[in-house]
Amino acid sequence: MSQIANISSKFSPAGLRDKTRGDKVIWAIVVVLSLVSLLVVYSATNSLAYKLYKGNTFVYLFKQIAFITLGIIIVYFAHRVNYTIYSRVAKMLFYISIVLLIYTLFFGAKINDGSRWIKLPIINLTVQTSDIAKLALFMYLSRLLSKKQDVIKDFKKGFLPLMMPIVIICGLIAPANLSTALLTGATSMLLLFIGRVSFKHIALVGAAVAVPVIILIAIAGAYYDKAEGKTKELPAVLSAGRIPTWIKRVQDFMYAEKSEAPYQVLQAKIAVAKGGMFGLGPGNSEQRNFLPHPYSDYIYAIIIEEYGLIGASFIVFIYMVFLFRSIRLFRKCPYAFGAFLALALSFTLVIQAMTNMAVNVGLFPVTGVTLPLVSMGGSSFLFTCLAIGIILSVARNVEDAEGSLEPAKEELA
Amino acid sequence: MEVKKDILWRVYLGFLGLGVFGFLILGKAFYTQRFEGSYWKSMGDSLHTKILDLAAERGTIYSEDGSMLSTSLPQFDIYIDFGADGLRAKDGKNFYENIDSLSISLAGLFNDKTAAEYKKELKQAYADKERYYQLHKKVSFEEYKALRSFPLVRLGRNKSGFIAEVKTKRLNPFGELGFRTIGLYRENSKLVGLERSFDSVLRGTTGKRLVRYVAGGVLMPVEGFEVEPENGDDVYTTIDVNIQDITERALMRTMTTNEALEGTCIVMEVATGKIKAIANLGRTPEGTYFETDNYALRTSEPGSTIKLVTLLAALEDKHVTINDNIAIHGGRWNLNGRTIVDDHHGPEVTTIKTAFTQSSNVAMSKLAYQYYTGKPKEYYKHFTALHLTGKTGIELNEEFSPLIRNPNKVKPKQWHPQTLASWGFGYELMVSPLQMLMVYNAVANNGKMMKPYLLNEIKSYGTVIRKNKPIVLNEAIASEATIKQLQECLAAVCTEGTARKQFETAPYKAAGKTGTAKVNDGKFKYRDGVYQSAFAGYFPVDAPKYSIIVVVKNKPHAANYYGGSVAAPVFREIADHLYKYSIDKQQPLQLPVQDSMLYTFAGMKKEVNTIASQFGFTYADQLAGNWRRSYLKNKTVQSQTVQTSNAVMPDVKGMGLKDALYVLETAGMKVQVTGKGRIVNTSVAAGSPVAKGQEIMLYLN
Repeated sequence: MSQIANISSKFSPAGLRDKTRGDKVIWAIVVVLSLVSLLVVYSATNSLAYKLYKGNTFVYLFKQIAFITLGIIIVYFAHRVNYTIYSRVAKMLFYISIVLLIYTLFFGAKINDGSRWIKLPIINLTVQTSDIAKLALFMYLSRLLSKKQDVIKDFKKGFLPLMMPIVIICGLIAPANLSTALLTGATSMLLLFIGRVSFKHIALVGAAVAVPVIILIAIAGAYYDKAEGKTKELPAVLSAGRIPTWIKRVQDFMYAEKSEAPYQVLQAKIAVAKGGMFGLGPGNSEQRNFLPHPYSDYIYAIIIEEYGLIGASFIVFIYMVFLFRSIRLFRKCPYAFGAFLALALSFTLVIQAMTNMAVNVGLFPVTGVTLPLVSMGGSSFLFTCLAIGIILSVARNVEDAEGSLEPAKEELA
Repeated sequence: MEVKKDILWRVYLGFLGLGVFGFLILGKAFYTQRFEGSYWKSMGDSLHTKILDLAAERGTIYSEDGSMLSTSLPQFDIYIDFGADGLRAKDGKNFYENIDSLSISLAGLFNDKTAAEYKKELKQAYADKERYYQLHKKVSFEEYKALRSFPLVRLGRNKSGFIAEVKTKRLNPFGELGFRTIGLYRENSKLVGLERSFDSVLRGTTGKRLVRYVAGGVLMPVEGFEVEPENGDDVYTTIDVNIQDITERALMRTMTTNEALEGTCIVMEVATGKIKAIANLGRTPEGTYFETDNYALRTSEPGSTIKLVTLLAALEDKHVTINDNIAIHGGRWNLNGRTIVDDHHGPEVTTIKTAFTQSSNVAMSKLAYQYYTGKPKEYYKHFTALHLTGKTGIELNEEFSPLIRNPNKVKPKQWHPQTLASWGFGYELMVSPLQMLMVYNAVANNGKMMKPYLLNEIKSYGTVIRKNKPIVLNEAIASEATIKQLQECLAAVCTEGTARKQFETAPYKAAGKTGTAKVNDGKFKYRDGVYQSAFAGYFPVDAPKYSIIVVVKNKPHAANYYGGSVAAPVFREIADHLYKYSIDKQQPLQLPVQDSMLYTFAGMKKEVNTIASQFGFTYADQLAGNWRRSYLKNKTVQSQTVQTSNAVMPDVKGMGLKDALYVLETAGMKVQVTGKGRIVNTSVAAGSPVAKGQEIMLYLN
């Protein structure tokens, strides 16, 4: 009898509701951000739809709805998985991601001299391998951090094993996508700091990273012709791969006058300025016609333009709430791995969100980072959903643990 | 739990850090809005909107009879964008499917290349992916319409890549006829003539439209920000196309025969001062002639044509009458070491009238010298009365001011005693042909000086906004008696004086004065043997209708350089045509006499014979010529020869159209026809003189 009841409950709506567990606030955040994404993406793709689909603006709306549906399915299934399994998967996924990164570096689709994408056969989806690698790295780090807590202050036993995966992954991402590598590295450092790694060791890494960054800045300064306002001719060593792009970006950020700022920065500023306190209203963006990627990299600028500072603050608030709820999970989670996993993934997401927003308002130099859950579709959206699914899986276990102390009320009802 | 606590403060630190960062982001956005907002917003507006000029249609210049002298037509420059997405889609499916038929169509339309050549060039341009391939320039509207229906092109801008750029072309339907006066309007070049003088009127007002860039590179007009262009106004001139044509041709004939350097001729209506024609020809290095400059407005030493003014002064101040005698010393006069010479030997003493008709330099310089030495101001006041001290004020910016030394502004000591003598026969002063003509016109107009003008009226969208009326500059330039004497002398020039030969055969009486002046300008010195031949006058003498001036600058050491033999023939040719023209206008159409037509037949000799024998009439034809006018009288056919010649209008009444056309067109006339049947009347009466190329209107019943 109980078996039959079990089966029927699995497929009834009520059953689905029963199965949907985890932190309700995080679930709510997923839904709210998805709705925001629908609104803004629909508006922002307006001009793209004009160009490619003769004004049929619904094409991208439906695409985004499909992505959101797929994303929520991923969240659902990911949160149903017992998170301890992720611990075992983490190591394997880490190795796979190394292989994928190397493959991408040599055979991936090139965009602006950066080889970042691979095309998955059958489902015909381009995947930015750094998204997989990031997820794998943070899962793996959570595992290592939880295991090494006893020897965490030791350089050889604690620090080096933690540092190695970070160096490998960041080193493989860097040639094609330096900013993502830096961002991943910085987030990792934050996690190491939270994971009680010796502050001295972290400072050491900081110093090691600072050297090439200072060199880059120095080169950018040296090869900038202030009178002409442009980059001087670079020697052959510095013209390889994406090095000129990096130099240019740094120079733009360091020297450019208001009016000489790169096109997208300029357009983003105009969008921000036009937004004002309350914005132009949904669908009234003008800058969507001029900003490159208004539906992904520059979606926050469009949000400010259409919804004003109020809307902008709301987005920041939502991400902070998300982070806060994850910290609550960390506090409640009885197992070290789960606690670290929730922390690592939520910090990554929020740092990525903040970076996107910082770029949009001109606080950071131009980097192509999406706003998690809000930017239109693509592989990064799905990986974000996977990460959230994993966090919710931890949340579900925390709830279960709590439930074992005081049985869930629904079950009694 | 110690470990967890240690971790927890770190987590909160991270949380706090991110929270602060969030505030920084919002702060930056706030700063951008609050302190740089207006800067960015205005930049946004300026980047995304643009003000487009809407070209106004330039007004048309019309002749007095309403022919377009200069007008604007749209013209298209055709380019192809071989990078157009639609054209290259599916590996150029559209392109390759249409290339053959398109090449054939293009070759058929433009006729400049074969279809194979077109195909080759288009394929090459497609391979090179040219974004702005120039297919054909200056395509007319008709051609453009045809082009739009061609294969590929009809698929539209996106799929064919065809780009048409509209330009307005200024068209002068009469070619270069009088173009120094009418003016050629070309982009990026300086305007001349009326196009220049009335540029502000013709140009209209350029409209403006604010457009916004929207998706897909489309420009969308912003509502409420559009200023419609105002089309230019139309300028109606006093120019008569026929007279202009006659004038230009007459001048051209003289220029080419004499290989002259520059020439100008102006025709003015005596009563009003309207300029009916103004022709300018300059010799190009290749030996052809072209309207190189408006010589009519350029000043030069006029020579003998000024003698009219000399005589006017002496007569008006009552120093002499034309029948007084004057000593001309056989045509050589020594004046304080300077010898003034006549062109021909003359008697010791002659009348002033004869001296004038023979254009005696001695007599004329003597008049000026003798009566005005010591009082040049008295002489100068006649120049003032004749408006020769300033521009005529004709509506052409290129006009030069006459150069005549003003004794009122010069101290008596600085006044050269020889100046007056030189003035007497047209040196040491500079006057333009137009200014000189104005004086002659005033004499023709019985002393009433009219201001020369070119503009009849200006119309804006069909309504007259400005109308010019004849302006009297001086009601009487001299007393009636003086004018009468001047007119007599001018007429005598053409009957017994230097222009006698040119007007011997004229069917009308003309009056005028020849002028032959040595040229001393920037290019030539007196010793270079360059002469300026001139003739200024009017006709008919009894009731002057037109005044005309012809001024021709000859080549150095030209064999024929006298005003009488170079310039006067141009006057004569123009006057001949104008005379016929006026006679024709005076004759009202004669109504055909209906019944007599029934019994007359006009046609070829052979046909009359055939008809007579066919109907059994006795008829014998021994007349000369091929054309007959026959009629029945007492059952016998009577015939007359229809005279055909190139100089007089044949009597074509009663002929069929086929016969009449043959007769008239072999005589070189241009024929226009109204009606059907047989010819009942003609615009030029039978027997009146006609010229080659003259237009004849035939009226059929």
